[in-house]
Amino acid sequence: ADMTLKFQSSDPSGNPNFILQQGWAELVKEKTNGKVAIELLPVKSIVAHTETQDAIAGGILDGHITDTSYFSGKDPAFGLIANPVGAWSAPQEMFDFMNKGGGKELMNELMNPYGLQFIGATTPGLEAFVSKKPLNGVDDLKGLKMRAPEGLVQQVFAAAGASPVNLPGSEVFTSLDKGVIEAADYSVFSTNASQGLHDVASNPVYPGFHSMPLVEVSMNKAKWDSLDAETQTAITEAVNEFALSQVAALAAKDKEAVEAAKAGGKVTVTDWPAEERAKFRKIAASQWVKVAERSKNAQRVYDVLTSYLEENGLIK
Amino acid sequence: MEIFGSFQALGIEYGTLVMFIVLMLLLLTGMPLAYVTLMVALIFALGWFGPTVVPLITSNIFSFVSSFVFVSVPMFVLMAAILDRSGIARDLFDAMKIVGGRLRGGVAIQTIAVAVILAAMSGIIGGEVVLLGLVALPQMLRLGYDKHLAIGVVCAGGALGTMVPPSIVLIIYGLTANVSIGDLFTAAFLPGLMLAGFYVTYILIRAYMNPQLAPIPSEDDDLTTAQKLKLLKGLILPMMVVVGVLGSIYGGIASVTEASAVGVFGVILSTLVRGEFSFGMLKGAALQALRTVGMIVWIGIGASALVGVFNLMGGINFVSGLITGISENPTIVLLFMMLILFILGMFLDWVGIALLTMPIFVPVIITLGYDPVWFGVLFAMNMQVSFLSPPFGPAAFYLKSVAPPDISLATIFRSLLPFICLQILAVAMLIAFPGITGR
Amino acid sequence: MTEKENPGGARHHDDPGSIAEAGFLGRIIDKTGIVFAIGIVLSMAILINEVILRYLFNAPTIWAHETTIFICGMAFIYGGLYCAARDQHIRVVLIYDFVPPRVRRILNIAISIISAAACGMFAWASWIMVQRAAFMPDGTFRLERSGSAWDPVYPGLVKVSLFIIMSIMCVQFLILAYNYARKKPGEAQS
Ligand code: NA
Ligand code: NA
Repeated sequence: ADMTLKFQSSDPSGNPNFILQQGWAELVKEKTNGKVAIELLPVKSIVAHTETQDAIAGGILDGHITDTSYFSGKDPAFGLIANPVGAWSAPQEMFDFMNKGGGKELMNELMNPYGLQFIGATTPGLEAFVSKKPLNGVDDLKGLKMRAPEGLVQQVFAAAGASPVNLPGSEVFTSLDKGVIEAADYSVFSTNASQGLHDVASNPVYPGFHSMPLVEVSMNKAKWDSLDAETQTAITEAVNEFALSQVAALAAKDKEAVEAAKAGGKVTVTDWPAEERAKFRKIAASQWVKVAERSKNAQRVYDVLTSYLEENGLIK
Repeated sequence: MEIFGSFQALGIEYGTLVMFIVLMLLLLTGMPLAYVTLMVALIFALGWFGPTVVPLITSNIFSFVSSFVFVSVPMFVLMAAILDRSGIARDLFDAMKIVGGRLRGGVAIQTIAVAVILAAMSGIIGGEVVLLGLVALPQMLRLGYDKHLAIGVVCAGGALGTMVPPSIVLIIYGLTANVSIGDLFTAAFLPGLMLAGFYVTYILIRAYMNPQLAPIPSEDDDLTTAQKLKLLKGLILPMMVVVGVLGSIYGGIASVTEASAVGVFGVILSTLVRGEFSFGMLKGAALQALRTVGMIVWIGIGASALVGVFNLMGGINFVSGLITGISENPTIVLLFMMLILFILGMFLDWVGIALLTMPIFVPVIITLGYDPVWFGVLFAMNMQVSFLSPPFGPAAFYLKSVAPPDISLATIFRSLLPFICLQILAVAMLIAFPGITGR
Repeated sequence: MTEKENPGGARHHDDPGSIAEAGFLGRIIDKTGIVFAIGIVLSMAILINEVILRYLFNAPTIWAHETTIFICGMAFIYGGLYCAARDQHIRVVLIYDFVPPRVRRILNIAISIISAAACGMFAWASWIMVQRAAFMPDGTFRLERSGSAWDPVYPGLVKVSLFIIMSIMCVQFLILAYNYARKKPGEAQS
């Protein structure tokens, strides 16, 4: 290859996401006729997952595939665009916004000043919700001691009456097991299942209702600008194709895991009725405004997002 | 400048070799350990790339000190410092003397038992070695135990924290390998006890072969039942603290890290009950905690930075190439991995080893058809060795930070050798009889 | 407690403080340690408070864990400086202990100078980090936050502190190097 780009993922090497991302690296090689090779590094191999943005800007890494919400601390706008809880009910809706609805331009408006170029979006899909006790709707969230990660997700659950506990991912399992918390926002159904979360919390809600993270593929802007248009197009196409195949692959994996869980007889999978989901989304949307107030960029994200959703009839 | 980037001419093979040599040389100059790995990371950041890469090191320092898992370290060290300043520990060992007094090596065995209980209370090492070093070591020395035996028991026992669940090594492994943390904990339980059992057996054999190593306190014979009961009172408060911590973890009251704070709180309450509490005492204990964590954390900090630099040099591809290239035979690949873990264990902190090797080893292990849960336990067992093995043996450093000054690092490492052999035996057992993990 | 019964004989609890070679700065560093030591005790209290609020009142706070991590993180960073001023970092002294005082003095000087140079580089690198953590791309001042629902400025504060402490550490090692060099061989070990 004429050029090797070092990308750090926010997933560990054994995670299905990482294995799928390796497929993206292959695809880039293929589409650029071997001109660009991607060296994909697992989470924390060079710097911590919250530090990749700085590392890319500083020229240590070339790019990353990561959940945009890790940079909410830099600007709340990242948190809002990364996971506007309740905005999307399927990955395709988010992809449409990114590719045709001005999302990509918005991302670059946010990221270019930090020295990064946004190439495209992917997502593991709608996360499933992990719970020890049966949850049939928004009312069951009242007083629920649950783990939620940084940002909007936590705020939304608090607004829905739950008691969010700030715990790092590494303590989720033990805390659920022993009952320190009763529920947790964690990952997609199949990942939750393989990490054994359903063994200790047997009432998952699937499909999830609360979160569908935006995973950005982006790289150092100066380096991106130095690439010829053909290569840029090839990489972008590779990202978009990869996004679709990742969503399909993980959805299939989820389905398989759900079947296995149902057949196993120890796990009760709950699906929320449409009206409960709508109720939750309404609570979520009420929290967007609060994030929007936190910065100029966040307000900008809010404006673009709500007008897009309204124009396309995604919110009433 | 010419020098920046010039190291790349070495190639990754010689680059890695030179890295080990520089690490070794700097260790031997007497440079504070805390700065040795950071220094090597800096030399290679500059030599291989140039100044642009230096922020990688500070970024890793920042991430390291900002992680939740290390919060339990100052808690355990604070607990140790308070125990050391109160009479609780002494009374505890006096009382335990009655329980196991007639057994040769009884106090050493009890120390192992205490270590296993501590291991069930904590997921990380550091705090427990300090705790046992402040509490159990002086008691064993006071009773005339052989210095080497006592030191080995304290370091090896204190390192059990990551072998007995809960264990942060296993949690991080579970996240990397995408396997159930519950399965890992279940699988690690017996091997953890097996290792503790090896230690106990070793103590018994040594003590009965050479009774001078572990004298039996003679005063016991004269004690009346009333006196014994009085001594047994010394067990009550420590047991209440243990019950408080374990109860808060297993009763779903506190997370593992929070439980370490429950331990400190319990110990403070105990000093109040005993009338030993004073703000001067607490101040002294807190200052001791500050300097001990300063040492412990800074020893660990450099490893993650060094691994970051090494990975940026192409270390991941290099190591995975080494492994897949060695043989077609899965057993040889596995043994080679053990060798790599052993060698890395001589130079790096476990955080660095986990960061470096887990992402590489796990996919290979799965491809070879091994059970990733079993391998996780094997990995944790290897980390037991790394805590003790010289020249970079964290458990030895932690103990050195609180041991009497006349106990040198050389003495500590010499004391650890038989225990390292026992750990390697445990690794071999896990490979030969994977069934020990219940898998 | 009966100290005299300890065979080690040196488990005293009196505080030796910073070493003479660390100078005035060393004494300030030593005295300031109490702030961070209290921090460790405070972290314990915060965690206990959190456990009680959550378990008994079902009312977990949104600030306890982030605050504990912050306080402990600050203690970790400062602890490194604190041990440097007191010369309490662990050294592998296999060779160091067996060389004559003259060589040991040279080793001390060299190690201090090298450490000062390294800390200087790290201070510079932290400054680059601080620039990105304390200012928005448009140049306005805004400390990096955690991005949580509570959204404290802890990450920004830790990065700024790392810069400050690395700078102080650099100066401390220069002072140590100077004072080791000033002493005649033979007195090097005080
Ligand atoms: Na443990
Ligand atoms: Na070691």
